[in-house]
Amino acid sequence: MKTKNNTEGKDKIRMAAIVIVSLAVIATGTLFSRTAFMKGDISGGVVGAFISITILAFVIFVFIRGNRDMEKGFPLQDERSRKVIEKATSKAFYISMYSLLAIGFLSENIIHFRDVSQATGIAVGMMALLFAVFWAYYNRKEI
Amino acid sequence: MKTRMKELRARYNLTQEDLARKVGVRRETILFLEKGKYNPSLKLAHDVSKALKTTIDELFIFEDNKKKK
Repeated sequence: MKTKNNTEGKDKIRMAAIVIVSLAVIATGTLFSRTAFMKGDISGGVVGAFISITILAFVIFVFIRGNRDMEKGFPLQDERSRKVIEKATSKAFYISMYSLLAIGFLSENIIHFRDVSQATGIAVGMMALLFAVFWAYYNRKEI
Repeated sequence: MKTRMKELRARYNLTQEDLARKVGVRRETILFLEKGKYNPSLKLAHDVSKALKTTIDELFIFEDNKKKK
């Protein structure tokens, strides 16, 4: 029983951390979007708004599903879900490393970024997208 | 890997959710275990076997991929 209570406590902390981090990302995305629109950068503003809306949808989904699972007595994470996250993270990390090298190389001649923040934003977005793709893949695959 | 989880779960009249709660994992983990699409840790294999009142080697059947000559 003590273990179950410990797991429940950890799950509540984990859920709170997910919500806080997501809200911080949403606030940053919204601020970025607003600033970009005010400067007349429509594409930057749209990207910022898109990220904020995507994260908001994600956090609502995670919050509802997580609370439902906790009420039913299931843990938020178990050994399989941790394994899926580990695999997705490591693959996303490796591919991001190569992609960052490619961005660095291509940015000199082929792709022209507005500034460093735009290149960094694209790189971070790409990492997040890669993680999501690998997570979906490993969540269905035999592991 | 094949398992007899579904058969034993039915014998003890347990749903996937019941078994997941007993073992302390998510329902999807039980689903993937039953399909033979997840190789559990020794601890999880032990916990599931205990919950289904059997042994690990009776519950999980590992098939050798190499054909015997």
